[in-house]
This record gives sequence, structure tokens and C-alpha cells, in this order.
Amino acid sequence: MTKRYREIGKAGWSYTLITSLVGLIYFSPVLWIILTSFKTRTDALAVPPKLFFTPTLDNFASVFYRSSITTGTSQATDMALYFFNSIFIAGTSVGLALIVGTLAAYAFSRYPLRGNDTYLFIILTTRMMPPIVVIIPIFLMFRLSGLAGSYWGIILLYTAFNIPFSVWLVKSFFDELNPEIEDAARMDGASEGRVFFRFCIPQILAGLSATFVFGLILTWNEFLFALLLTGVETRTVPVAMARTLGGEVGVDYGLLAAIVTLFLLPIFFVTFLLQNQLLRGVTFGTVKK
Amino acid sequence: MTIELKNLTKRFGDLTAVDTVNFDVGDGEVLCLLGPSGCGKTTTLRMIAGLEYATEGDVFLNSKRVNELAPRDRNVAMSFQFYALYPSLTVAENLAFPLYAEGLSSSEIEARVQKISDTLQLGGILKRTPGQLAEGEKQRVAVGRSIIRDPTCFLFDEPLSRLDVQLREEMRGEIKEVLQDLSRPTVIVTHDQLEALTMADRIAVMRDGRVEQVDTPHNVFQKPTNLFVAGFIGTPQMNLVPATLSELKGAGKAEFAVKGGQSMTIEVDPRIQELSVGTNVTLGVRPRNLEISQEKSQDGLSTTIDMVEPMGAETLIHLNDGHQDLRLVTDWRVSLSEGQQVNTSFPPGVTHVFTDDEKVLRTS
Amino acid sequence: MAEINRRTGGFGAWLLDPKRRGALLVTPAIVILFVMNIFPLLWSFGLSFFNYKASSLKVPTFRGLSNYERVLTDEKVWERFQTTAIIVGSSVILQLIIGFLLALMFAKAFPMRRIVLMLVLTPMMLSFVSVGVFFKLFYEPTFGIVSYLLSAFTEDRFVVLGSPAGAIAGIVIADAWMWSPFVMLLVLAGLVSVPKYLYEAAEIDRASSLRRFWTITFPYIKSLLLLAVLFRTIETFKLFDIVYIITEGGPGSSTETIAVYLYRTAFQFFKTSQSSALAYIVLFIVVVMTNLYLYAVNRRAEEVG
Repeated sequence: MTKRYREIGKAGWSYTLITSLVGLIYFSPVLWIILTSFKTRTDALAVPPKLFFTPTLDNFASVFYRSSITTGTSQATDMALYFFNSIFIAGTSVGLALIVGTLAAYAFSRYPLRGNDTYLFIILTTRMMPPIVVIIPIFLMFRLSGLAGSYWGIILLYTAFNIPFSVWLVKSFFDELNPEIEDAARMDGASEGRVFFRFCIPQILAGLSATFVFGLILTWNEFLFALLLTGVETRTVPVAMARTLGGEVGVDYGLLAAIVTLFLLPIFFVTFLLQNQLLRGVTFGTVKK
Repeated sequence: MTIELKNLTKRFGDLTAVDTVNFDVGDGEVLCLLGPSGCGKTTTLRMIAGLEYATEGDVFLNSKRVNELAPRDRNVAMSFQFYALYPSLTVAENLAFPLYAEGLSSSEIEARVQKISDTLQLGGILKRTPGQLAEGEKQRVAVGRSIIRDPTCFLFDEPLSRLDVQLREEMRGEIKEVLQDLSRPTVIVTHDQLEALTMADRIAVMRDGRVEQVDTPHNVFQKPTNLFVAGFIGTPQMNLVPATLSELKGAGKAEFAVKGGQSMTIEVDPRIQELSVGTNVTLGVRPRNLEISQEKSQDGLSTTIDMVEPMGAETLIHLNDGHQDLRLVTDWRVSLSEGQQVNTSFPPGVTHVFTDDEKVLRTS
Repeated sequence: MAEINRRTGGFGAWLLDPKRRGALLVTPAIVILFVMNIFPLLWSFGLSFFNYKASSLKVPTFRGLSNYERVLTDEKVWERFQTTAIIVGSSVILQLIIGFLLALMFAKAFPMRRIVLMLVLTPMMLSFVSVGVFFKLFYEPTFGIVSYLLSAFTEDRFVVLGSPAGAIAGIVIADAWMWSPFVMLLVLAGLVSVPKYLYEAAEIDRASSLRRFWTITFPYIKSLLLLAVLFRTIETFKLFDIVYIITEGGPGSSTETIAVYLYRTAFQFFKTSQSSALAYIVLFIVVVMTNLYLYAVNRRAEEVG
């Protein structure tokens, strides 16, 4: 009736309460995983499942150190290496894909070639293709060339995996820029390199960071290629996670949950920082202002 | 029906967008809110509509306080600067849209759409969607959609700003005609003074959230109440010459000294007597009121012609005496050339004297 | 640089000629894609005409189209396609509904929105492995929380993954939970692209909320919804990890998707050539869907532009 009118699209704290409730329900499986990481092995598999328990940090300790039964001393696990591998491999390949993809995207946007659309289509198809289609030849190829088990092999593969996405997304950001500014800069005597680095890149930084986050989310968690193509030295965390599943004593859920929780943290913070950019990235940049 | 604003104020954080605005619009009256961009005119309009609510002060529609009412409960009609046509609906559906809330029968809706489309000549485009319309057509549809109902008042936000000059002139007349038939209070926001001067019954000139003057178009032009209004209204802009009152000669006559040593004795408003000799003032005179005299006279300055700008029927002449610029408009037949020495004269009664606080000296 | 080269001529000048600049910039991307994607694709295309087995040293012989014939006449393959279709269909519908509702919820500005939004986005950031393992635990009849909560309604401990329908539901829920946030982001992008003045006009015009939704909101998000359907369909079509971990295709082969079957054919039975043929059939389907996807993207671009 004559209730006070709120400006369109705005809501107050009571709305926050409702949404956080829904958000928490949606989040509850993750919450359960996080809770499990603080449980002892008995608590993790208690019947009925325990919501309240005495928390322990043992799981987090045993992610990195395992006490040996025979000698009684604690010994470092390889998990620190796997975390490093994950960060190094995902970071490098997504970064590389972004650089290579940005160059290509600039070309597609500013120097349209004949058959442009065909190239773009082929590039997109490689993104949509089920990885399983190429995994056999890649497996054979890596075995023959000795790339299997090396950093470069998996990094190159992930780079290729991320390029299509980067090209499409970044191209749409370039398309939205006003080319007149670039022409004006050229008229004023700026070199092509200067136009690109001083005028184009700064304007699409937000878009580039969205592309980075998206690539990172997808690459961070990749499992199948990593399982088949990484070796002992280059193993990533998802593969190591899967390996904790085996063994006679069954799955150590507390340990696994600790790994999952730790593994979630970096990507969570990167996403949180670049959250506003994410909205654009998800639509392949088709949303204009 | 009426609109009345009392001490209306809107603050966004630290910024005061609208500062204690007061005015009222009577039944059938058209009021133009005129001012440079960012002066708070659109915010004022949106507060009348209910799209923003007032931080302080009140909005009365039909003498009823509506501060707390949602736009839908205020029964106002508004046309937006970007037209806000619903992109997925045809022109006919867009026109009919405000009628759904009134619970009319479909035959009644059809009849009303027909009537509006006749008034605004939309017959040929009723089946098209907004994406297929030219700017002028979109504008017409937006106007049509706002006048199809019978609301308490009509609000227009920059209705003509997106049209080219010729269309603007055409639409100005058309809207004026339509509004005369409606006899409802109407507020039009514009930054274009010509639009305001031609369409309004009264103009409210705004600056920095404040209303500087509310008056008829004639008075706003002829009797600006302060320096801002004087400078803002009228093209070419009024000449504003800083001067010092050097002698009072009675009967409204006074001698002023301007920068550079020249002085002149001109007849201004009698209230000049209230000022003491030595007061700094600003003299304002419209370019069309300045005259050229052949000999050096007491009531003007001697200057050099800087530039001659033909404007068709008239010629705009830029003058300079080494310290101040003057603009002067003469008939096109007067032949003058750049570099020539001329004497200007300030005829009696056309010079406005503004005091330091920017207020004008005037009897009434 | 370019200036000097143009004067001195030679290969450098030829390469840096403005005519070739576009091609030059595209080259690194194309080279990497060719080595890592297109070349393997062609290789597997070749393999699909031989009887190669990765586990055997025998020299492969040319078999023509017989691999394709065998795959296409195999009833098992059609069953897998059917299973995949059921999982894809129900998961995508569920993602759409949940994602859409979540987007409507987050379309408004409210205090702490950034933080609450993160709660909903997190599932998307988990790895398939961890989602698989923990949902398997949730469904576990003795220790699982889902079975525990369900036991309040049923007499016995409910074995979620015991029946084909239950197993499919289990997978669909896990997958939909993980990816609904993605649909939400898409729809949200559509919702925020609606010009605010349209809502204001609707408010002035006193439109009911239902009418406002159908005339303003829906037209702006409908092609994005189509986009979401296609993108998620293509992605879910490739669903492998979650299924492999939660049910391993069981019970029986009731949840074995085409991707799992493909993995088995290639790496458990080492029928490399046969799996390549099947992979190409899958690729063909994906290409068709990609085309639809592109169509949707372009339509969206036209509507917005």
C-alpha cells in the first residue's frame, strides 16, 4: 500500500539475512568438507555424522608431515612439491595462454584476415571438444617425444587448453574498444607497440583479469590430463588427492578434506579479489554496457 | 491539479544534489527546469516522480503530500531521456503498456492507442519494435506513452536532447500543442534555453542544486535576478564588464571606471543611489542592446574590432579595448571590418548592475 | 625496428610488413593449438581407420570404416548415449532452475553481497575429484550424512547409489550443485545488463511484477539462458570425473556415460582404434552443438549491440 518506496534494485540488511541463509545452505557441502578437515579419523566416520566435535589440526600437519611408524620420526611428504607444481603449472600455462591469446585476439579484432570466422570456429571447437578425444594421441605423442612427466609437456598442453577461451574472451574486449583512440595515437606518431601496450592493454585490464580467473579455475582442478601425463616430480594436487583414495585402510577423509581445503584457499582468494570482473568473463564478453 | 515542492533537498552522501528547492506548478502550466548539466534538475524531476526520495522537504501532488508514495501510487506520467521504450514490445504494445494497470477492456485500450497514434501520427509504425525506429519516431512514441493515461502531472526528462536541430524545432511545436490540450501541470527538464524559452509558461533556472530564478520566459530574459541567470540565458551571451562606481550623478545616472582607465557615464536603475562611490560592480548588457556611435561619447567605451562573425540577418562583432572583450550584434547591412576603431554606447535602461554578491540592482 | 628493416629489406622486413602483422600475431596461438590439439586430433582420426592397440606391439593394419561400423552397431554404445542424455538432460535442467533462482536473488544490491555471493560461487572452484569423493561419502549408507538425514523418513538406511535411478540422481545432484553457480553468473550478467530506466518506466507505468518480468527481464536474459543451456550441455556431455569417482559407472553399467565408456575402451581394454572412432563420433556431436552455441552467442551480440 503506502509502504516506503525503496530505490529499484536495492535491498537492506534483512535481505542480506535471507540470502546468507540460502547461501549457507548451498555452501553446506563445502562447509562439511572444511569441518571434516578438523576431525580425527574416528570423528570423520562417526555414526551418526558429528556436527560438534573437538577440532584437531592433525590432518593439516599430516598433509605435509607423516610420522613414520618404524623410526618414530616425522618425515616430510611430497605434498608441498605438489602444491608448488599446481601453482607453477596452472599459473604459467594460464599466463602463457593469456599472452599468446591476447596477441591473437588483437589480430582477430584489428587485422581481420580472410577466413577469420573459420579460424575462430576451429579455435572454439578445440575448446568444446571432449579431452578424451585427443588424449590417446597426446598420450602416445608425449611418450614418443619424452614430454611425458616433464613440466614443459603439461604446461604446453594446458596452455593449448586455455588459448581458445582466452582468444574469444579477449577479442570481445578488444572489439568494444574505440579504435579511433588508437588511430589518434598513430597520427600522433606512436609506434604499433606503443599503441598496443599503452592504449589497448590498459583499457582491457579488467577483462584480462577475468580471463585469468576463469582459466585458473578450469586449469587448477584439471584431473584427467594430469593423471596420465604428469610424473612423480610434476604431479599436481588433484592427482595426489586421487592417490590418497587408494590403500588398504580406506580413504582418510580427514586428510583429504585438509588437502581440499588448502587447495581451495588460493583460488578462493583470487576469485574474491577479481569477483567483479568475473561477471563479464562468464558470458564470453557478450554483455556490453 | 498542481505540483508543489517545499524545501526539497536531496543529498547523496556528502554531495547535495538538490538544495532547498521551492516552486509550484499550476493546472495546465508548463514549467521548464533549466540549467547546466549536473545542476540537479533531473534529480528534482525524479523526486517528483518518486524514483528518488527526498532527503528533506516535501513533494505535494494535488495538495497531498506524497513523499512516501512509490511512483506507481503517485499516478504520474514521465518520459525518459533515453525514451525507455520496452525493446521487446511493438509501438502499439508500448503505447498500451501503461493502460494495463487501469484495468481497461481491450477495445477501450485499442481505442486509446488509436487516438494517440492519430495525434502523434504514429499510424505507420504501430507494428514495429523500438529497434526499427528512427530517433524522432522513438521520441514520439515515448511522448505518446506518457500522455496516453490521465495522470496527475506530466514529467519530461530532456525530451528533445537526442534529436537533430530540425526535428527538435518540429517536435518542440508539436509537444507544446499536445500539452496545451492536456491541461495538467507539466515539468520539463532541459539544458537547452531555446527549448525552455519557447515551450515554458515559466522557467526555473537551476545552478548547483539551487533554483536561482523562477519566472516567465520573458522576465527571465529581461530581468535576470542575478549574475548567473544573466550570463546563462540569451545567445550571444550577455556582456559582463567588471567596473567600479566612481561618481553618482542622480536620476539613475552614474559614472563607472573600467579596467584600463576608461570611464563612462550611463543611466541605470535609480537604486544605484544606495551604493557608495568606490563599490565594485559588474555591468551586464546584452549584445543586441549595445550601440555603435561614430564619435567618442560619454556613455560608452572606445574599442577596436577583433573579429566580425556574420550570422545571417545580423552580424556579431567582437570588440576589445585592451582589457575587456565586448560582443555586439548589429544589422547585417552595417559594414565594419577587423582592426577598425569604434565607439560603443550603452543606451539608458539596458544596463544591469550586479553587486558583489551577484544580486541585481532593480526597483521592482 | 620495422622502419629500419623496411629500408634494409630481407627476411626481417618481409616478416614485419604491416600486411602480415595480423598473421604474425596469430601464429604463436595457432602453432601451440596445432601441436597440442589439431595434430593429435588428426592422428586419432588416422588411428580410427586402423586396428591399433596401444598395449600391443603388432603392426596395425588398415581396417577402413569397420571401426565406425562396429561402434555404431554396438548396442552398448547406444545405451551409453542414452545414459549420457538422461544425465545431461536432468542435470542441465536442474542447473538452469537453481542458477536462475540464485541469479534473481543476487540481482539486487544489498549489504555484504560480495561475501554472500562467494558462498554460492565456491562449489564451482572445487575439483571434480574432491566433489566426487565427498559426495560419495555423503551418499554412503553407513557414514553418509544424506543417508543419515533420509533415514528420518525411511525405516532403513537409504542406499542412494544402490539403484540405477538413485545413482543417476546422485550424480546429477553433485554435478548440478557444482555448476549451477556458472548458470547463475550467466543469468546475472543478463540481469545487470537490463537498463535501469526500463524498470523505472515500468514503475511509472504501474506494471505488475509478472508483466515487468515478461516484458523487460525475460527478453534480456532469454538468449543468455539459451547460451547457458548449450554451454552446460556441451560441458556435461563430457562428464567423466564425477561419474568415475562416485559410481564408476555402476550399479551395473547404469551410470556409465559416453565419456566413461570411452575411457574404458581406450585405457582398460586398450581398443585404441575403436575408441578413436567413437571419439570422432562424439566430436561430431560436439561440433554440431558448438555451432548452435555460436549461433546463440551471435544472436546475443546482435540483441545487445
